[in-house]
Amino acid sequence: MTTTTTTTKDLNVAVIVKLEPDFSEGNVSYNADGTLNRAETKSILGPHSAIASSAAFYAKVKYGARVAVGTMGPPIAESALQQAQLLCDADELHLYSDRIFAGADTLATAEVLGAGISKVEGGKVDIVFSGHRASDGETGQTGPQTAWKLGYTFLGNVVDYSVDLQNRLLRARRLISLQGFYDIIEEVEAPLPVFISIDPSYKAFFNTVSQRLALEKYQKEAKLRAENYKQFLKVLNTQQLGIDPKLVGLPGSPTIVYKVERIPKAKASRKAEVVDGTNRDQIAKVVSNMYEVLGGMVIK
Amino acid sequence: MTSKYQHLYVVIEHDDGVPVPVSLEMLGEARRLMDGFNKKYSSDEKVVAVVLGHNVHKLCEELIYYGADYVIYADSPELRSRRNIIDTKVISQIARNRELAAKFSNASEFVKPRYMFFGADSIGRHLSSTVLAELESGLASDINKLVVEDLELKHEHKTKGQAIKYEKTLEMYRPDFSGFLWTTILCLDNRNPANEREYHPQACSIIPGVFAPIERDSSRRGEIVDYIPKFDEHDLRVRVLDRKIVKSAVDFDSHKAIVSFGKGVKDSPEQNIKLVAELAKEIEAEVGISLPISKKPFSVSEGTNSTYMIPDRVIGTSGRKVAPLLYIAAGISGAMQHIAGMKESGFIVAINPDENSPIKDECDIFIKGRMEDVIPILVEELRKQRPAIEVKKK
Repeated sequence: MTTTTTTTKDLNVAVIVKLEPDFSEGNVSYNADGTLNRAETKSILGPHSAIASSAAFYAKVKYGARVAVGTMGPPIAESALQQAQLLCDADELHLYSDRIFAGADTLATAEVLGAGISKVEGGKVDIVFSGHRASDGETGQTGPQTAWKLGYTFLGNVVDYSVDLQNRLLRARRLISLQGFYDIIEEVEAPLPVFISIDPSYKAFFNTVSQRLALEKYQKEAKLRAENYKQFLKVLNTQQLGIDPKLVGLPGSPTIVYKVERIPKAKASRKAEVVDGTNRDQIAKVVSNMYEVLGGMVIK
Repeated sequence: MTSKYQHLYVVIEHDDGVPVPVSLEMLGEARRLMDGFNKKYSSDEKVVAVVLGHNVHKLCEELIYYGADYVIYADSPELRSRRNIIDTKVISQIARNRELAAKFSNASEFVKPRYMFFGADSIGRHLSSTVLAELESGLASDINKLVVEDLELKHEHKTKGQAIKYEKTLEMYRPDFSGFLWTTILCLDNRNPANEREYHPQACSIIPGVFAPIERDSSRRGEIVDYIPKFDEHDLRVRVLDRKIVKSAVDFDSHKAIVSFGKGVKDSPEQNIKLVAELAKEIEAEVGISLPISKKPFSVSEGTNSTYMIPDRVIGTSGRKVAPLLYIAAGISGAMQHIAGMKESGFIVAINPDENSPIKDECDIFIKGRMEDVIPILVEELRKQRPAIEVKKK
């Protein structure tokens, strides 16, 4: 149905990333009530954002794509952009930052990210990458909602992809897991532009000599750029993004967090016999129990 | 009494007419919730299943036996496999369709459904996101408890600090990553005079394996309402070239025993994971993990990573449900989500230094101690006793 026949072989890609608490052991800190201690836990580029950045870097190495990275957040979130630039040798970094964005749920966040991406390269982004989900919010909703706001084809759980520049087509393999059922590997084809959320199992492969050479070149460039990331950074507020303030932040968020509580302990379902882990005789008894069970004897 | 927002729409997932388990689970919970609703408020609001597919009329009948009052069935060859764009369009059309709603009750005021459910799996997570972006309302993900309640609320923005009563509000509970905290999400209309805005449906995606389906009852009566979906070429721009069902390399079902590990490996993850593997080998067990482990919170070598710390091995509501003869939980504290995945096991042994951890109430033997100390003794004893048992078998 598209009537515009672009002869260009250029490829523009964008990545949306998030600055997240570092949940890795040793870095994360919790309050006594089990909630995250945000003050003590440092923030990093989220692990899924990092994978999305790698997927964009693949487009750079393989197709010479121009790469832009965007994030919504307070000024400190520019460190996520810097870390992403190191991974994907970004040509542009965009921070969407405005006090009124605070408190946004996924819909209000998508409003900002969508507006931001439409500002990149005059709205001519061919592929947008997002991570699978953020490790703090964990909803996995922001990517697809941004895609819908942009009017882009959304492809989720993408494990690898290739681009047919001539015909402006993207081919992707998706891993669909229907829990309690089975998994499906699906191969799809869609005309550009597309929005991809990258599956955690994504890995880039660079097989040819020319790709490896390009990889090295861009990796070197990325390092230099990330050291001077401010040169590539643009900060955009509500007005510059041209967004209706009623659609962002708290006013634009349909949902609220009503309460947070400890999940009450369930009633004990079994009565455990407690065994001392250093007592060899007791453990010997446990082992003979285990062998009995495995011999197929019915318990209880 | 009629209203702009009515009914609970449940978006059904199926593979060529076979319902994905979460679909029947959602219907079960929808039935329980709306039975309560019908008693408390009004009997006019229904459980409405929404089905997209081709030649799956039989499935629609089944959904009635599993709790649906009505089934809206959009049939087209183009709807045979799941594609986000066209599915989003068709579901949104259905959600906004007053003529359809008029089949269930007085719909003179109908605008959109009151509530909407989706499955929180690879398909439903993204589909719910795009549908709610299209319907411009709120969505909570990964829910495992639901309550309908009248709430009096004060909120900085929603009510501009005034106490306002929100009737028939869906409280959507989601467990956080640790499995020990519950966050309740509400989707609320803005009643702030500065920015009034209505947000319906109140929607969520539901974790597979949490809710029980109701018992199939073929005497249940309901009605199937056909809907002819509208779409154009542009909505069909994604082509599915190939589709393969893959079996995971992880095989819980054919093993008599499963050894799982959790965050208790943290003191020396690399070493401890090796111990777990050794124990598993000794009793020919498959290796499982708890949910936090799949998020790779430790630094371990790539080899260890790729073998064990993968989502396929997660046991619990976010992963697989298992019921082996013997289940050994090493360094697993016993978050509700994990327990739900293993509580049907025959004999459960837990290894944990903390007698206060919830796993103690869910096991038959609680070996108090750190896994690095206990597993070597276990393995040694297993080796010592093995021949005698084999003789006994004959």
